[in-house]
Amino acid sequence: MSGPVHADLVLMLLADARLPVAGHTQSGGLEPGIRDGLGTQDVPAYVDVRLRTVTEVEAATAVLAGRLLRTGAPDAAWLDLEQAWEARTPSPALRDASRRQARALLRIAHRTWPGAPAWTALAALEHPSRAVALGALAGHLGLEGRAVAHLVGYDDVQTVCAAALKLLPLDPGSVVGWVVAALPAVEAMAARASCVLDVDDLPATTHPLIEVWAQAHAATTRRLFHA
Amino acid sequence: MPDPSTTHGPTPSPLAPARALRLGVCGPVGTGKSSLIALLCRELSERLELGVVTNDIYTDEDARFLRSAGVLDADRIRAVETGACPHTAIRDDITANAMAIEELEEDYEHRLEMVLVESGGDNLTATFSPALVDVQVFVLDVAGGGDVARKGGPGIERADLLVVNKTDLGPFVGVDVPQMVADATAARGDRPVIGLSRTDRDSIDRLLSWVAGRLAEHRAGNLVPIDPGPMAAHSHAHEHPHEHPHAHADTHGGEPVGVHHN
Repeated sequence: MSGPVHADLVLMLLADARLPVAGHTQSGGLEPGIRDGLGTQDVPAYVDVRLRTVTEVEAATAVLAGRLLRTGAPDAAWLDLEQAWEARTPSPALRDASRRQARALLRIAHRTWPGAPAWTALAALEHPSRAVALGALAGHLGLEGRAVAHLVGYDDVQTVCAAALKLLPLDPGSVVGWVVAALPAVEAMAARASCVLDVDDLPATTHPLIEVWAQAHAATTRRLFHA
Repeated sequence: MPDPSTTHGPTPSPLAPARALRLGVCGPVGTGKSSLIALLCRELSERLELGVVTNDIYTDEDARFLRSAGVLDADRIRAVETGACPHTAIRDDITANAMAIEELEEDYEHRLEMVLVESGGDNLTATFSPALVDVQVFVLDVAGGGDVARKGGPGIERADLLVVNKTDLGPFVGVDVPQMVADATAARGDRPVIGLSRTDRDSIDRLLSWVAGRLAEHRAGNLVPIDPGPMAAHSHAHEHPHEHPHAHADTHGGEPVGVHHN
């Protein structure tokens, strides 16, 4: 970019499913959930539970990554943040899925914004998580913490809902209603996540069933979605 | 991290690192894409360092078929999930496939010479992005109906190679194979068509010869990916011969006589 553009435009760019970062390969855990018995009527509650657990961890981690970038934090701080995220993401399958998504994101980000200071900072991590990578990229592009948290929450809702359209007998119009109904929860989650100032305050709201599903999914054949 | 997308495109740089030729295989479901890849692995794996990336509707169906065929080390065959979007994964968001290819190349310390990428079976308009593969084969089969070649479409008309597969089934499905190949040839101008059958050694040799020609071009740095695109051909395309960025006579100049199966 030749100069700074309005944060709204940056947010739209990063939230757009047309950004080629392999978003179409993710179901946010919905595919294994359905395999284990979730039905159409359960999807809105599943979205809500994610926002209050795993997605809040993701959002707060991304917020902190942006903060580290803005403050020019040392490598050790990036390592601490990544380890704190790992500690809150005990499922190896979820970690792997997150790191693959980070790799996809950074692939396009390196090409689009070559030489950004964010890449130097991320170099402290061999395989950054998506939350840390996305937070660093969003920070580089000038998004504030609240906007980054909105981005993570909104993307998670849309990921699950878009996958639901592939996996369940649904009217796309109904699913838009689910997304809209989830927006207040996204907002509330983002308000909490954007208040996290230090890695010690990072929420630890894991969800064992989502982790169990992720582990089972990674071991199945005949998957439609990677995770 | 190295970004192949900057070195992999319509104008390959002479400084581009040596990497495997990326050969895409696409076409409708059931036409024999996996079998074609198994055939290439069986014929070439002793001579070339190969890798395979499959995109199936259900992740690893094709990968399991290829692994069970025993034609290549199982670890050299990687499956990519496409979230029920096989078309997207080879065209408008190639990320998952590009990453799988890069991982294969890294895991084999950049010794791979050719990576075969199998698309999930899709419709007649699905073709690979030239950012993902260097050269692409579109596969039809005789059993799918003798009129499919005549219907045309980007893959049929403009993929680097059109394979009309399972020619041995012609008598059993009531298809006039020479006519189907002639229709395909007519739809493609001077681009090659191979009528293929696993029981027809001559046809297999012609396929291998075509692949060897593309590999030689790739190694010489002369292979420019051509996008078949999804668009219908201009009805007056032949009035503008320079519209095609490559000179067919040069690009396929090394072909043995008889690539155009009649």
